[in-house]
Amino acid sequence: MNPRKDLITIDALSDEDIHTILESTSAMKDIFTKSVKKVPALKGKSVLTLFYEPSTRTRSSFEVAANRLSADVTTFTVSTSSVVKGESVHDTIDTLMSMKMDYIIVRHKNSGIPAVIARHCKAAVINAGDGAHAHPSQAFLDAFTIKEKYGEVGGKRVVIIGDILHSRVARSTSTILRRLGAEVAYMGPGPLVPQEKHTGIPRFTNWEQVFNWKPDVIYLLRVQNERMDTPFFPRGDYHQAFGVTEERLRRIDDLNLSIMHPGPVNRGVEICDAAMDYRNCLINNQVENGIAARMSILYHLTPQTQNND
Amino acid sequence: MTNTYITNATWALNGQKLDLRMGQSGDEPTTIFLDDIPLEGVTGVTDAGEMKIPEGARVIDATGKLLLPALFDLHAKIEIAGCSKRESIYRTGQAAIQGGVWGMLVMPTPGFCFDNASTLDSFDEAATQRSAAAMIPAGCITEGMQGSQQTPYNTLAARGVSILSDAEHVTDNLLMLHRAMKYAAELDLTFAIRGDVPALTRNTYMHPGTTSYSLGLHGTPACAEEIGIETLIRLAEDAGAKLHIQTVSTAEGVAIIRRAKQRGVKGLTAEVALHHLLYTHENVGDYNTTFKTLPPLREQSDCDALLEGVKDGTIDCIVTDHTPCIPFAKKQDFVSAPQGMVALDTFLPAIYTYLIKPGKLSWAEVVRACCINPAEIATPYDHEEDTPMVAPLLLFAPDTEMTVTEATMNCGTLNTPLLGSTLNGSITLPLC
Repeated sequence: MNPRKDLITIDALSDEDIHTILESTSAMKDIFTKSVKKVPALKGKSVLTLFYEPSTRTRSSFEVAANRLSADVTTFTVSTSSVVKGESVHDTIDTLMSMKMDYIIVRHKNSGIPAVIARHCKAAVINAGDGAHAHPSQAFLDAFTIKEKYGEVGGKRVVIIGDILHSRVARSTSTILRRLGAEVAYMGPGPLVPQEKHTGIPRFTNWEQVFNWKPDVIYLLRVQNERMDTPFFPRGDYHQAFGVTEERLRRIDDLNLSIMHPGPVNRGVEICDAAMDYRNCLINNQVENGIAARMSILYHLTPQTQNND
Repeated sequence: MTNTYITNATWALNGQKLDLRMGQSGDEPTTIFLDDIPLEGVTGVTDAGEMKIPEGARVIDATGKLLLPALFDLHAKIEIAGCSKRESIYRTGQAAIQGGVWGMLVMPTPGFCFDNASTLDSFDEAATQRSAAAMIPAGCITEGMQGSQQTPYNTLAARGVSILSDAEHVTDNLLMLHRAMKYAAELDLTFAIRGDVPALTRNTYMHPGTTSYSLGLHGTPACAEEIGIETLIRLAEDAGAKLHIQTVSTAEGVAIIRRAKQRGVKGLTAEVALHHLLYTHENVGDYNTTFKTLPPLREQSDCDALLEGVKDGTIDCIVTDHTPCIPFAKKQDFVSAPQGMVALDTFLPAIYTYLIKPGKLSWAEVVRACCINPAEIATPYDHEEDTPMVAPLLLFAPDTEMTVTEATMNCGTLNTPLLGSTLNGSITLPLC
């Protein structure tokens, strides 16, 4: 694999990149079963998490991943930084680069910010979610979870359900799954699912179409109310129309389908309580695999911060 | 002032060979019509080679060069962040002359907020002193371009304002706008406004399509512009006001204007920005902020319809929509970066290279859309001399090439996709 500095989108990766990162995710996961869950791969390297948006899962997942690779992790807390005093991203990055960070893990509400940072600095930049653009580490953990469950991703059918419009997860996960030979469809309320001519992905608007398509995996998304300045659909309809209700769960169970969700979950909206305990619910596997996938990503990137030694 | 003799020029519109004597001494200058275009202050238009040139006279050998009226740009912003107003005026004037533009309608910006008499007075003074090109200010429709309170139209009109615009700001207060139009109609003022429904385009960044989807950017629906255009036409028609639709970007927008003109709406004109004829949303690629414009770049079918609109006269003018953005601003992420390109420096060479040379537009169509129509709409007037301003002539050498570099950009910023491109044509302006 050619040295790659940054991970901004799945599109930017070669097939070799994707396969290598997925393969070593498995090796990273093996470390978890050992009594000492730490390897010295990134010893002496410094990792910065720079989250301009609230996050619990992704941030802690990256921090655990970096710790297990023996890196030094620094957390940049935006709410107490000069960013709230109006400092531009460029100037913040200049400041942070003076601190000689090797890896910067960044999340921002604006699409395209990680790419700007990556162009601007020598550290390896990992996109931990930018606007509705991309969330490549989520894509890797999703692909790995499906591979782990079914042996391979190719040939599987995955329907992603919910707020596609605002979802970076939908964009990145659909991209990696299709690169690996899976078929992907979108389903959700009309205003939240982009047109097929723009996405190249079949677009459904109800569950009957979903079941007729014969999916293997039901991938649920959270309705991102915080990104909706004006309501997109009638309040109160969502669970009955688009959620996994108990009735739909029985059908999912009969068909032996898997359920995935990137979290955080809104119980009673996109998913009923019972579905969280469903035998083929892979949500906790996704969380665990997230750490392994992020270890693999960190391990495979090559910062340009020092001479190769 | 002595006469200048131009020998062996070619009239761009029909290929006729010309010799001209320009200047103020000797015979009384007259007005000569060529293809219905008045050439003022010119004498001795003859077949090439027949003109007698006194010894020692200033002669321009225009062999291989095209003669045409200089361009008037109906849509330019001149404020450069971090530059003084005088510097902004000077640089923009230099840029315009380089691009073949003799005059421009200056859109209001925060630093040049033409909503009162004193701002207009000080601007006129500075522009006269510092700009090589004529700068005609467009008065604000509302105070501070805020969309709520009308500016003193009588006062602005008395200072020579003939066009009102709040630049890129579009109000959703249609009642205020309707009343403004009714009031200003009495003063024969023209409203220059972009079609938009702000509620539909808030927090959108580019044309909706494959590129906006993959970049995760919210799309600006074409219907917002089209509803806006239809609304403006109906309002202006009802109020009896003259209306100029700015920066049309969609095919249906062209169709709406065409239908309105066909049913005989009076005082309705429209413009397209050059970049909407040349580029599509796919040029945004991987967040290239140079291609972030307002309205956004759309699809090839829109470019084609806009060009057709120019050809059949539905679209009266091609404009620069010149908008200087400093490099730092455009280096930000796509969402944060400002909209706009600069185009004055390269205007005529770009039109020649990308539209005339490939046969998409004729010289006659370009002269109509870039010289005659915009000057007719803006009616530039020299208040000191108390006469209408007249377009000077320029010479265009189509066989020369120029590479656009930082050094060739006079306007003070570099936000043009043409940086590094080689354009055909060089311009001689002024001729005397």
